[in-house]
Amino acid sequence: MKKIFELDNLSKEFDGQVVLKGIHLDVYENEFMTLLGPSGCGKTTTLRIMAGFEEPSEGKVLFDGIDIAGVPPYKREVNTVFQKYALFPNMNVYDNIAFGLKIKKTAAPVIKEKVTRMLELVNLAGYEERNIRQLSGGQQQRVAIARALVNEPKVLLLDEPLGALDLKLRKTMQIELKSIQKEVGITFVYVTHDQEEALTMSDTIVVMNDGIIQQIGSPTDIYNEPENRFVAQFIGESNIIEGTFVKDFLVAFDNVEFECVDKGFEDGQDVDIVLRPEDIKILPSGEGRISGVVTSIIFKGVHYEIIVKTDIREYKIHTTAYYEPGLEVDLDLTPDDIHVMEPMGTY
Amino acid sequence: MSKSRRINRIIPIALCLIFLYMPIIVMAFFSFNKAKSLTHYTGFSTKWYGAMFANSQLLNAIFVSVSVALIATLVSTVLGTITAVALSKSKRLIKFTVQQINNLPIMNPEIVTAIALMIFFSFISFNKGYMTMLLAHIAFCTPYVITNVYPKVKALDPNLAEAAMDLGATPGETLLRVLIPEIRPGIIAGALIAFTMSFDDFIISYFVSGNGVENISIVVYNMSKRMNPSIYALSTVILVCIMIVLLIGTFMPYILYKKYGKIPRFVTRLGYIGLALLVIIAGFTSFRANTAKQVLKVFNAGEYADMEVVASFEREYNCRVIYETFDSNESMYTKLMGGNDYDVIVPSDYMIARLIKEDLVVKLDWDLIPNAKSLDTSIMYQDFDPKNDYWCPYFCGNVGIVYDKRNVTKKDLKDGWNILKNPKFKGDIYMYDSERDSMMVALKALGYSMNTTKPKEIKAAYDWLVDQRNTMKPTYAGDDSIDAMKSGNKSLCVMYSGDACAVMDENDNLGFFMPDEGTNYWVDGFVVTKTCENQTLANEFINYMISDENAYLHTVEVGYLTPNLNAAAKARKNDFPGNIAYEIRVDKNDESFDYQDNETKALFSSYWTKVKAK
Repeated sequence: MKKIFELDNLSKEFDGQVVLKGIHLDVYENEFMTLLGPSGCGKTTTLRIMAGFEEPSEGKVLFDGIDIAGVPPYKREVNTVFQKYALFPNMNVYDNIAFGLKIKKTAAPVIKEKVTRMLELVNLAGYEERNIRQLSGGQQQRVAIARALVNEPKVLLLDEPLGALDLKLRKTMQIELKSIQKEVGITFVYVTHDQEEALTMSDTIVVMNDGIIQQIGSPTDIYNEPENRFVAQFIGESNIIEGTFVKDFLVAFDNVEFECVDKGFEDGQDVDIVLRPEDIKILPSGEGRISGVVTSIIFKGVHYEIIVKTDIREYKIHTTAYYEPGLEVDLDLTPDDIHVMEPMGTY
Repeated sequence: MSKSRRINRIIPIALCLIFLYMPIIVMAFFSFNKAKSLTHYTGFSTKWYGAMFANSQLLNAIFVSVSVALIATLVSTVLGTITAVALSKSKRLIKFTVQQINNLPIMNPEIVTAIALMIFFSFISFNKGYMTMLLAHIAFCTPYVITNVYPKVKALDPNLAEAAMDLGATPGETLLRVLIPEIRPGIIAGALIAFTMSFDDFIISYFVSGNGVENISIVVYNMSKRMNPSIYALSTVILVCIMIVLLIGTFMPYILYKKYGKIPRFVTRLGYIGLALLVIIAGFTSFRANTAKQVLKVFNAGEYADMEVVASFEREYNCRVIYETFDSNESMYTKLMGGNDYDVIVPSDYMIARLIKEDLVVKLDWDLIPNAKSLDTSIMYQDFDPKNDYWCPYFCGNVGIVYDKRNVTKKDLKDGWNILKNPKFKGDIYMYDSERDSMMVALKALGYSMNTTKPKEIKAAYDWLVDQRNTMKPTYAGDDSIDAMKSGNKSLCVMYSGDACAVMDENDNLGFFMPDEGTNYWVDGFVVTKTCENQTLANEFINYMISDENAYLHTVEVGYLTPNLNAAAKARKNDFPGNIAYEIRVDKNDESFDYQDNETKALFSSYWTKVKAK
């Protein structure tokens, strides 16, 4: 696949505050890439550098293999969808979408054709004459997407575009966005702090924290094999346990040795072990290797969240079965359920 | 029930409207008055409109006001908008500081700004004129634009500009196509305020203009001494213009919406093109090249000449006369000291004395003023200039008392100035609201010189005035007493003979007398300044102005006595027959004002303030 964007050792400082610390990132053609991280992690800054709104303090930005340092946003073949849409309030829907084409002095019939097609794509046909202020949040969002896409950019940058919408609309729009991306077939770089959104839509997820990329990978990679405690905690829920790597395919924690699928750590070194709540199995007392007591059970809709207290720690477990609090149970794990990471502090 | 309620609602609205518009209606009404009177309506006439359009000084002022306002509005709107946009992108400290500084000129009393600008222009030796006025207007208009535009810019979505650039718009296109349409209401509000502020500015314009450049406010202010109904005509015309603009502004969009469903682009384009054309025309004509003709700068009191004479001088001598007016000797002196250059000035006697003393004027070339042969020499050769080298008389007069013949007997008049203390006329007297004239009355009544510097005599005069105030309850009035006496409001009025002449012209019941104890006689005359570069032309101008024919034209226009004996005789015969106020008396008891030293001046003014205090 062809690289579109290459960020090489990118750093950014604002008034002495370092927000990006040497980022390396490649964006490939036609992929849906998500920059994921908590607020202040540098994901939006990265996006703004790609759009040309900010210049990096250090490092290079290559677009199609060409260094685009100093190229102003209006000369870049990328378009942005802003968090708060930034639609032009004094123009109607049609004029908003047509803005980029008019600036490029496109012929009027071509503009009309393209805008009409865009409106169909985002399900807003017939809304041409509407005033922006008369639209709902979701409709405004679609206009913003259409306004950017109509210019047929090589890359569409989206800065938390669904952040202002309610949950249900957000879910619908996630699916729509993904299908639009497939239909138009261009690269999306999507910024969000919502891990579920990232997992739903992305081809590639870039997890960032504190100006540093923590992990790059597919949603399944990121979820199932987090590279460190931060990623594990940020993506989904997990039990993170300090243990010892006995040898290849064998780890020890809570005084029990478990078989695992991981290898390549030093024998006897300290490691962090990630157990996803849905992977821990609850067995009747005496049938598993870890014993404990159910201390709480909370109904979460699709599943129950159960806390099981052992002599050493509490485990968080997701299950569809109901267990009475106070019940003595055993827990057990298969090798696939155990994910071993370098301990906190080293990556 | 409902009807009475409706009336209850209408009454306060009606009262409010009447309160707001009554004065304007009265003014518009009097602009169609046949007579010059400001209080008596004698019949319908449009002659003041004619007079207005014939008055080149006034037309010039209209042009200056409109063109300065248009250009200043345009420049300050552009400047203010750019500043507001830049400000919104600045650091907080800069933002705060600039906003506070920006508020300063708005809160600052205008007079401070005016004097600061005047000093500044003098300091950088920038010649006062159209350009200085324009720059000053731009300076004081810009803060209003910033104040109106900045909140709109601040309320803008910060991503809006980025969104536009992201879609391919250059920063310029972003500003024009996205940002400006967004903040347009603020810009329009700012521009409208700037235009009104500029159009009716007086104080700042007064201090920073010069070399014959005057706007409407300045001309009207200088005319206010001898108010002339063409001012009403002018005000009415301006009012009508504004009403037309307002009507168009209110109803045009409505009509257009009805016809086209929206404001068609060609209309807005036409509007912009029209505005641009106006500004361009204003710009071009205001910088119209001064032809290489000789130029003479004349500084005269307002409404104090037949301007046709000045125009014909320009034609005959192929020169340009830059004609400026002042409202008092003192403000004339201030402007002179403020660095304005004039060639010929027309001050009063005491001010002439001061100018000679301070070495600001040069001797006249009497060889170039042969028309001086007709002048009344009795008012010349005064103590301040014994050989009469420096000045040439233009108008003269006395101070006396206008009285109502029906109430005042010959015997009453025998009291001289003390008639003003005759209990018969309690509450029936106008005193002239001027410290020197009132003190003169008291000093003369007591038999002292009106130029005394003896504190004891001055104190005595003060006591005389206080006593008169307490016993007689006179009204202290300025020039409004002129109109009041035409209607015969009171029996006695201290008045200048020139004004008395006009008053008696309209009211046959009035008489005029000057007490034997003596009175003030005054002369206004031409002087030529030291900075005058064309002495010959200046002297020729003076000669032209005092010729028999021209002096006659001036005296008829102004109504004051001319010292040209031939012209005065002709006017007496044709225009003021039997009018005893059209005379001058220079007896042994009569004096003209000396230039006062500061202590005496301070004493006079503190006493006068006390007289008027109660």
